[in-house]
Amino acid sequence: MNTELKKTCEKLVDYAKKFGADNCDVILSKGESFSLSSQNGDIDKYKVSGAQVIGIRAIKDSKVGLSYSESMDDASLELAAKSAIENAMNSEENKYENTFLATGDHLHPSEHDKDTASTEDKINLCLELERSVKEKDSRVQAVPYNGFSESTGSSYYLNSKGTFSFGSEYYQSCYTSALLHEGSENSMHYHGTIGRKLKDLDVSKCVDESLLHASEWLKAKPLKTDHYDIIFELDAFSEILGCFSNIFSGKGAMEKTNPFAEKLNTKVASENFSIKDIPQYKDAFFKSFVDSEGLEHKDLTLIENGVLKSFYHNSVTANFFKTQSTGHASRGAKSPLGIGGTTKVISAGVEKDSSVTNGEYFEVHSLQGLHSGANAVSGEFSFAASGYLCRDGKRVSPVKGVTVSGNFHKLLLDLRIIGDTVHATPDKSFFSPLLRFENMSVAGV
Amino acid sequence: MLSKEIANDIIFEALSLGASFCDIFVEKNHIQNLTMNSSKMKDIRTGVDFGIGVRLIYGDKALYGYTNSVLKEDLIKLTRTLAEQYKKETKVEKSLEFKTKNVHSVSVIPDKNIPLADKIAAFHKMDKKVRAGSELINQVNLSLALREQHIEIFDSEGLYMKDFRPYCRMATTAIAKDGSDQATGSWSPGARGGYEFVEGLNFDEIADYTVKQALTTLKAKPCPAGNMPVVIDNGFGGVIFHEACGHSLETTSVEKKASVFWDKKGEMIAHEALSAVDDGTIDNLWGSISVDDEGMETQRTQLIKDGKLVNFMCDRMGEIKTGHPRTGSARRESYKYAPASRMRNTFIEPGKHSLEDLLQSMGDGLYAKSMGGGSVNPGTGEFNFAVQEGYLVKNGKLTEAVKGATLIGKGEEIMKHISMVGNNLDYAAGVCGSVSGGVPVTVGQPAVKVDEILVGGKA
Repeated sequence: MNTELKKTCEKLVDYAKKFGADNCDVILSKGESFSLSSQNGDIDKYKVSGAQVIGIRAIKDSKVGLSYSESMDDASLELAAKSAIENAMNSEENKYENTFLATGDHLHPSEHDKDTASTEDKINLCLELERSVKEKDSRVQAVPYNGFSESTGSSYYLNSKGTFSFGSEYYQSCYTSALLHEGSENSMHYHGTIGRKLKDLDVSKCVDESLLHASEWLKAKPLKTDHYDIIFELDAFSEILGCFSNIFSGKGAMEKTNPFAEKLNTKVASENFSIKDIPQYKDAFFKSFVDSEGLEHKDLTLIENGVLKSFYHNSVTANFFKTQSTGHASRGAKSPLGIGGTTKVISAGVEKDSSVTNGEYFEVHSLQGLHSGANAVSGEFSFAASGYLCRDGKRVSPVKGVTVSGNFHKLLLDLRIIGDTVHATPDKSFFSPLLRFENMSVAGV
Repeated sequence: MLSKEIANDIIFEALSLGASFCDIFVEKNHIQNLTMNSSKMKDIRTGVDFGIGVRLIYGDKALYGYTNSVLKEDLIKLTRTLAEQYKKETKVEKSLEFKTKNVHSVSVIPDKNIPLADKIAAFHKMDKKVRAGSELINQVNLSLALREQHIEIFDSEGLYMKDFRPYCRMATTAIAKDGSDQATGSWSPGARGGYEFVEGLNFDEIADYTVKQALTTLKAKPCPAGNMPVVIDNGFGGVIFHEACGHSLETTSVEKKASVFWDKKGEMIAHEALSAVDDGTIDNLWGSISVDDEGMETQRTQLIKDGKLVNFMCDRMGEIKTGHPRTGSARRESYKYAPASRMRNTFIEPGKHSLEDLLQSMGDGLYAKSMGGGSVNPGTGEFNFAVQEGYLVKNGKLTEAVKGATLIGKGEEIMKHISMVGNNLDYAAGVCGSVSGGVPVTVGQPAVKVDEILVGGKA
């Protein structure tokens, strides 16, 4: 922890008090990164960065104002505090955004030391990725995305009640892609991996996965327009869940944009479906300890046996619904107070994986159009998809050029077949058993 | 923002370390964001971004770094760190004489420093109008984003350019609820200008549009799936060209051969009815720039003429790698990104047909009145985009509203299936995310008829 940066936070809180803030909190983020990419056997991009930003949320007469600055000299801090108070004075009274707790100090520095691998080693890894993709398949027309990155980030939180938290993270990642060309067909796939040390990065998997799927989808055809059972690859299902995560938001419920706002303690999913938010899940790559209001994260059951048990709450939504914050406040130095989940874990069901994959189904591997093809309010979605038609757990034929459509709320209610083994996404950010969704609409030929 | 002396020292250091080119991008943003929800002002947020990006080019390698520091020693350290792997001591002249080029500046809607209270009053006015549109309107979300971007660019060819770019965008979302069914309608106009842009907006029109769209979608039936002709109306409908073709014409993709059109310059890549332009020079438009983020005067770039590919959008690295000439298209979200060739205001040029001509000629199909966003894989040309408001067409006449439609296809195929182009060109603002971050772009088109495209919906 950098004590100078902590002092910067203290200085901003003091300025805010000086200008009349009744309460305030400050978030300071500092990040450094290094990244490389290669093209045609040589490094073509090399990036080194370092940036920091400090933001304040100030309360004055039950009104909220926000401000931030990327400069941290005294004059900039003073201006940021003054602006936040002025913004508050122009705002409207908000009786719910007034809780600032004294919860002491929470220090969670990264347990992982910065890797000592040399820049030359990192360059060599980047070049090896590209070279391997090209060497393994003569149909490779290009390796358009291929690179390495290393990131260090730290975050400081301080409020006017004295609560202070500090956390930091360090990780590396690499990725590659294969763009294959054969006849008049093009096909591309991308795969990335994450780790703490250069030696932990699974280069072979990046190369093999990129080539495997690009190669298969080169000969892929659309399915006939019809209804199919679908098993989403975990990454793909995690993305869909992300599109509709507003169903768990206390903020969404308060602002009437959460379609499950009035469904607490009612059935919203099939009775064998349960999902929890587990901030320090043992197998997760990133672990979270404290939220953006200085509250310690705790496990939270969102849906249990099909019944909606809780929303994510911060202090504001908790005050609105006359409940306790669940410790899921989310705020960046530049952004207003919101809601954020951590690691979601879907509970195992009772079906053996071999039973889940029995018979014919469409394994959806990749989805496109997630940001535009989903209506978070109505639950309707329609995504472009690619994957494999499978039978009894075996991939029978590659598929692309189709769309998968449905209503996410109905999917949850209709879900019957849940595997008995919990799997992880490659980046270890989401955990779920195999889920088989029956009779979904697929448009193709 | 950065003294010419320090800029000179950084560039001297870079060239002394063997860089063939160096440029410095200095940026300061003042932002003001307002949001309203449940008829109350929720967040009033202001802030200042400041940073400096330094780029060194060694042959066809681009090395990029950035910092919030304006101190000479920090910037020299950053330059040395960037050059560490590729440095070769080189004797260079110490002093550069920076010169500014005269360029045509796009005009902007002025900002008269309107008080915050007036902006809040406008929010209440809009909120009231939308809620008055129907008793089924359950929620109204409003947001205003104002940004004043000041930039300076110095380069080792002696160029010094500065620019001031104000941006203003207001978003209105109406949420309608009937029983357990909910649907949204939204409109987010934006311009290169100050708050006076909002004062010029027709609030009644925006309220009517968002309410009608929410109510129509609320009652809409699921869209049937399958291949069919589709008429895509003007304005944000231009996202089809942006996704299906535009990204593949940026040298960012072309230089990696990650574009289906990388070797097609001079060839017919679209139906002869189609001509398209990327134009950064249009006054007040959201994607307009006087100079690009490499300091080059922007231009109007004809991309496709009567179906033939005539130009790519190109930045400095694109020119080095492909040989295509720069087009003033180097853009980036902020100092945190190296510049890359990106779209500005991209649109299909108007044809001669009315919207009715297009609908009548299609027989049965889908009329996409309003589009959502989309995405593309430039390497394969596979794109997708969502229909926000759509209607089935029977015998050339609009029938029932449908929801949940997605259009998917391949860029090189769809461009050949646009067989009729309307005469009602219009533009819409958007934010395009790509390799150099999210940049303001305009999409645009008149109504177009696509003879056949896969519509994803209910099987």
